[in-house]
Amino acid sequence: MKKITLTRAVNEALREEMQRDPNVYIQGIGLRAVAPNSLTGGLHDEFGSQRVRTAPMDEPLIAGSCVGAALAGMRPVAELHLADFAFCALDEIISKAGKWRYMHGANNGMMLPIVFMQTIGGYVGGAAEHSQSPVGFYMHAPGLKIVVPTTPYDAKGLMKSAIRDDNPVLFFTHKLLGGTEGEVPEDDYLVPFGKAEVRRAGNDVTVVATSYMVSLALNAAQSLAEEDVSVEVIDPRTLEPLDLDTIVQSVRRTGRLVVVDEDTMRCGVGAEIGFQVMERCFSDMKSPVLRVGNPDLPVPYSPVLEKAVLPSSSKIQAAILRTLNPS
Amino acid sequence: MKPSTEQMLGLYKMMVRSRAFEEMVAEQVQKGHVPCSWMSGIGQEGTMAALCQLRSDDHMTYTHRGAYSFISRGSEPSRLLAELFGKSTGYCKGKGGRHIADLEHGVMGKSGAIGSHAPIAVGMATAIQIRGGDQVVISLFGDGTSNRGTTHSALNTSALWKLPIVWICENNGYAGAIPSADFTTFKAASDMAAAYGIPGISIDGNDPLTVYAVAGEAITRARKGAGPTLIELKTYRVGAFAIGAKDLRDPEEIMAWKQRDPIERLRRQLLEMDLLSEQLIASIDQEARIEMDSAVRFAEESPFPNPEDAYQDLYA
Repeated sequence: MKKITLTRAVNEALREEMQRDPNVYIQGIGLRAVAPNSLTGGLHDEFGSQRVRTAPMDEPLIAGSCVGAALAGMRPVAELHLADFAFCALDEIISKAGKWRYMHGANNGMMLPIVFMQTIGGYVGGAAEHSQSPVGFYMHAPGLKIVVPTTPYDAKGLMKSAIRDDNPVLFFTHKLLGGTEGEVPEDDYLVPFGKAEVRRAGNDVTVVATSYMVSLALNAAQSLAEEDVSVEVIDPRTLEPLDLDTIVQSVRRTGRLVVVDEDTMRCGVGAEIGFQVMERCFSDMKSPVLRVGNPDLPVPYSPVLEKAVLPSSSKIQAAILRTLNPS
Repeated sequence: MKPSTEQMLGLYKMMVRSRAFEEMVAEQVQKGHVPCSWMSGIGQEGTMAALCQLRSDDHMTYTHRGAYSFISRGSEPSRLLAELFGKSTGYCKGKGGRHIADLEHGVMGKSGAIGSHAPIAVGMATAIQIRGGDQVVISLFGDGTSNRGTTHSALNTSALWKLPIVWICENNGYAGAIPSADFTTFKAASDMAAAYGIPGISIDGNDPLTVYAVAGEAITRARKGAGPTLIELKTYRVGAFAIGAKDLRDPEEIMAWKQRDPIERLRRQLLEMDLLSEQLIASIDQEARIEMDSAVRFAEESPFPNPEDAYQDLYA
């Protein structure tokens, strides 16, 4: 084992998969001149401008051409940078990558093995168009796998699974998680999709948290442990496929659920997971499912306003306590 | 670039088959057997003179109009029609309707939103370039689509990366009911080529032998790695935007274009060259009719999918 950052872990996955399979290539804005310690750092120098393509500033072109290349037998990776910018390419991601195999009846085994990398997250003074985490938005669309890694180990193993998957995968890394350090094996390994990880075991309340929210939830659980509240924190790791069984088993035990997702709550990850759990665990529930997330507002710039809108450990703590004392 | 006798006759037969398919589909739409709308390709078959030059390992992207692109590549009318009927034997097992994919014949899928094909063509050509092959991509789009940002994106990137693409704008003068002059500033779509520093040429799309020659040169250029070309084919759809839609165009304009039919034109030329006889013409027509009749039988006799098939095919 070695200790590396999450960004480095993703970078290693990309490098190793490109070494392993000549059909893998990556394209995005500015790739010829990225910082060495970025997600795609060093790849251009190693693989050259054919396989690490510096694309025009043009998200529909970057995403749409991945669809064409995948149809022609390649395994493209699109580095779309901020998720805010990827919205420019929604037709290509949602209607082409997500729906073409189905719409064409899987003609002749049609496959679309594409990875769309996006960076998400607020807490950086980015304001409304540089701070979005629209993970739940894509959960709404059929045909797209969704990965939200939180540790370097997961990030590397999930990226390798994403590249080897025969379907389109959205790979979301959070701005504040890039520098997170963790242990990663020297040898090749994969982390499978659809398997949640219990980050902290507990008996009173189940918290499901995504991406950077996992660390906020763990902080909240730690603080509440001092008040003798035992919180279980589950990191789904992939939202499509979703490991609902692990969540359901936990909720059957605790009878209480809080879902934490950074994005706007309406029709979001919390609404979906909360509802699915309600459908399966209604009789086990001791209190209503609660959500912690953005109260359906654009993310404002000023630190004071941003803090008011985005989730925090204290907001999560408050929600956990409310499930214990429902009014 | 001149086609051989065999190639000219092959092209003629293909165009006749495509026309017969369109006439048969129109009849089936009117009978209520096709639950989607259909944009007839009648009048625009001149484009086939470009597509017929593709090798089986080349790629193509295509517009919402007509079946001539599928027929050019070798797709079977029976499975095309079965798809339009929503039957399980269709190319997309009844999930796509007029969104046809037939990967075996290089028909890679159809976008609902027009103009989204252009970046896809760039991706196909990128794959060719990375692998170092000599295949090419022909990407068709209409005059209306020349306004989409994706069209300009793709022209720019194809020029920048010297990709093996032949862009063909089939300018039929209208986007829906609106004449091109109402939404574009350029006189010919090929004028866009100048902005991206690639060759651009505008020709009569209803003159198949000219289309053959010009497209052939562009294909050769792309195969050699010299980059993309933009060709505008001036053409006309003789029917309304979709079968059954109201046609607001001047009837005299429609009549004038009917006189310039690409199939009749090629037929006259081949008669003059003694490559066709009245007898041969009749037998080609007859063969096409028999093929379409059997396609109708196949589609009618094919089963619908099972409701539970709706749950299949999302993921590989």
